[in-house]
Amino acid sequence: MVDRDERRGVELRDVSFRAGGALILDRVSVGFEPGKLNVILGPNGAGKSTLLRIATGLAHPTSGEVRYDGESIAGLAAEPLARRRAVLSQHVELAFALPVADVVLMGRYPHYGRVPAPRDLEIVNHALALVGMENKRDQPYPTLSGGEQQKVHLARVLAQIWNDDPAGGSDAMRYLFLDEPTSGLDVHYQLHILKVVRELLSPGCTVIAVLHDLNMAFEYGDHFVLLERGTVAVSTSDSRAIPAEVLERVFRVRARPLQTREGAGSLWRFEL
Amino acid sequence: MGDEAPGRMPVARRSDAFVHLGLALVLLASLVASACLGAFTFTPARIASYVAQGAGWIPLREADTLGRSVFFQLRLPRVLLAALAGAVLGVSGTLMQGLFRNPIVEPGLAGTSAGAALGAALIFVLGGSTGALAFSAPLGVFAVPVLAFAGAFAATIVVYRISSSFGKVNVFTLLLAGIAVNAVCGAGTGFLSYVARDPQARNIVFWSLGTFTTADWRGVALVGVCFAVCFAISIGYAKPLNALMLGEDEAAYLGSDPRRLIARLLVVNTIMVAAATAMVGVIAFVGLVVPHVLRMMRSSSYAFLLPASALLGATMMVVVDIVAREVIPPAELPIGIITAVIGAPVFLWILLRDQRKGSAGYYG
Amino acid sequence: MRSFMVGLALAAVACGRGDPARGPRVVCVSKQINEFLYDIHAESVLVARDLTSIYPPAITRLPSVGYHRALSAEGIVSMRPTMLLTDGNLGPETVVEQVRKVGIPVVVLTPGSTPDSAQLLMQRLGTEFHHEAQADSVVATWKQQMSDVLRDSTKWAAGRRPRVLVMHFGQMVNDYLGLKRGSTADQIIQWAGGVNAIDSTGGMLRLTPELIAKAAPDIIIATDVGFDRLGSSAKFASLPGVALTPAGKSGHVYRVDETEVMYFSPRTPGVLRKIAEWLHQGASSPARS
Repeated sequence: MVDRDERRGVELRDVSFRAGGALILDRVSVGFEPGKLNVILGPNGAGKSTLLRIATGLAHPTSGEVRYDGESIAGLAAEPLARRRAVLSQHVELAFALPVADVVLMGRYPHYGRVPAPRDLEIVNHALALVGMENKRDQPYPTLSGGEQQKVHLARVLAQIWNDDPAGGSDAMRYLFLDEPTSGLDVHYQLHILKVVRELLSPGCTVIAVLHDLNMAFEYGDHFVLLERGTVAVSTSDSRAIPAEVLERVFRVRARPLQTREGAGSLWRFEL
Repeated sequence: MGDEAPGRMPVARRSDAFVHLGLALVLLASLVASACLGAFTFTPARIASYVAQGAGWIPLREADTLGRSVFFQLRLPRVLLAALAGAVLGVSGTLMQGLFRNPIVEPGLAGTSAGAALGAALIFVLGGSTGALAFSAPLGVFAVPVLAFAGAFAATIVVYRISSSFGKVNVFTLLLAGIAVNAVCGAGTGFLSYVARDPQARNIVFWSLGTFTTADWRGVALVGVCFAVCFAISIGYAKPLNALMLGEDEAAYLGSDPRRLIARLLVVNTIMVAAATAMVGVIAFVGLVVPHVLRMMRSSSYAFLLPASALLGATMMVVVDIVAREVIPPAELPIGIITAVIGAPVFLWILLRDQRKGSAGYYG
Repeated sequence: MRSFMVGLALAAVACGRGDPARGPRVVCVSKQINEFLYDIHAESVLVARDLTSIYPPAITRLPSVGYHRALSAEGIVSMRPTMLLTDGNLGPETVVEQVRKVGIPVVVLTPGSTPDSAQLLMQRLGTEFHHEAQADSVVATWKQQMSDVLRDSTKWAAGRRPRVLVMHFGQMVNDYLGLKRGSTADQIIQWAGGVNAIDSTGGMLRLTPELIAKAAPDIIIATDVGFDRLGSSAKFASLPGVALTPAGKSGHVYRVDETEVMYFSPRTPGVLRKIAEWLHQGASSPARS
């Protein structure tokens, strides 16, 4: 058993968040382990975005704390945190024409002062290769399709937490957050991004993704946290263990399970 | 780093230095042209002689007395003030576009210049020993720039507050707020010029359209110092400004503090613009045209843009000053009119191009 | 006090004068002083004028350094003057400082507000440019004509005093201005037997149609630029506000040159008589158009 205070990965302890009189998160306690694709699910308004903003350190909880590998992030300065933790947002608005490589290089900003080192430039190339965009490195960002743009941001985010020494100690731990990274993309890009993310999984990296497509989440995810109106309704590593009634209540739909092959995630058909 | 190096160095490209050098040479050429042309025409050789005489390297020539005086007392301060004012406005446009993440922002449109003008007008009309603002007398010659800064700061704060909610700036609201603040400040300045006793009114009317006629070494020193300090501070923030292009949240995820960055750079920007406006009046559109041309020409990265917009802004103002002086001699065209004639079509063109691009609209 | 200041200014100039063998080169940006220089035949010292100095017509042969309220130091200095001469009404104010900085003296001669002080100014000009005899002669004639006309004015003042509005066109504000009481034009009106239709004292009042109608002048005297924009008395009389006045309705709108009423000059006695004739033709006689 893992000792509670030496818990690996990202842990939220008793996190509540109140804004404008409304209680958006109510004493959420949940753990996300490294080496797995942790998925946060829930309908609109359940508090997923808020949960993510707090887990990434962008917002402070009204009460409770967030720990990365046992260490509370409340006291961490922005730049050291940025060297270990990266966030791929749902949609990044970039209105200026920068070449793709420049955008990916921004991921290395927390790692260098005025001038990037050769290592930083190498990492940019590797990150671009990983997402399959290396032949577009000089193209202006706004000329890309939506899916390509999202891949560029994924490359940037990977460059930010690029880890040369996965076997190292807690300094080498990395945290990757993905906020609905596939929304608005066609199915090719959705699958491609999830495939890349799965290939990244390693003991040195904790990955947490907010996904909206339940079937895709169950297919690609390893651990599932279902949020309902600011509290955790279900937290499980077995998608088949989530009963239809819970899904129907939380999402306000009718859910009918479909046959899938042995060992795959559960698959559902939804109707109003 | 050889050419085999993996990719360029985007935050500080080596070839950026060549472009900066090119811009500096163009600026130098325009400075020399402006120093030579005018009601008095000096040849570069004569200027060199004046400088040598002034430095004591060669003995003073009696016949050159008037030419020397005109050159050092009138021409040179004017040329330098035009260059500095242009640099201030160019950098200010670049900064504001970075802070507000939109290329249709500049100190003229966002109300900063108008606020500075109102502050300065208040001193012109109500200052002096008997005016309502007599308390400002101890400030002496600094009264105008200080009040200009107060006005510019107030106007910018109002526009920023109106247009930002939950820390995010809505550019549409910002432009509307800028229009409103411009209108209010303009009304205030207009009212002051209306009720002013005659000598003060002459000051306001003449200066509110932008002029380099009243340039002197004090003005050059003030704007020069403000620009140097503010530019040095800004260039240190090139990286976070780049990150800010992705949005405040993304910039925060990349390790900077966007709220503090924006606050700091707004103050720095306001100081520069207030100093320049106090000395040369209201000149708009420079901050719009210069960064736009540079983005189109080369890059949106701030390590390139900031020095380049200083150089190109300075060049633009120096050339505009030559035009202002030479078109209807001995009278002079107000500077603000020339920059509006150039800048307004560029502004419209940016808007139209943006529309044509549709949802994939981008800048640069 | 005034003559003391004038004397001081001239003394300062005398000390800083350029090479006398070259002869003086004067840039004068004052209409009144320019006219006086021609009156005393000292006009050869002039090398440049301001835009609005157009009397006498011969002066327009000289180059102009621009509008007297929008001057450029370099433009003035490029005439290589030995002196910049002004009556104090010039702008921007920094121009004076700038011209002085390059070593060219600036002489400010304020004309004061009476014919006597204007005559003093002319005599000072005579002294300065060594045309004392001409200056004295012109002043003597002027004084004589003034006393003659003032004697006649007592009978004009005896009868009914029509209300008179002097409308000047301010080019920098692009609007009509009315001359208030205490101004030179007002003094001329009073001597001519009229009364200023504007009640307040001071410089100039920005006129709105309502103000014009409220002033209700019997006679309107418009200066050249403002009159010539409309072209005729009839057209001027149809301006909003003017149309509602007794002057507008009866067509009693007259034109003068700005230089005739804005300052006292040797022409003032003639102008006085001309205006008195307009004022005392009475409502019975037809208006001039």
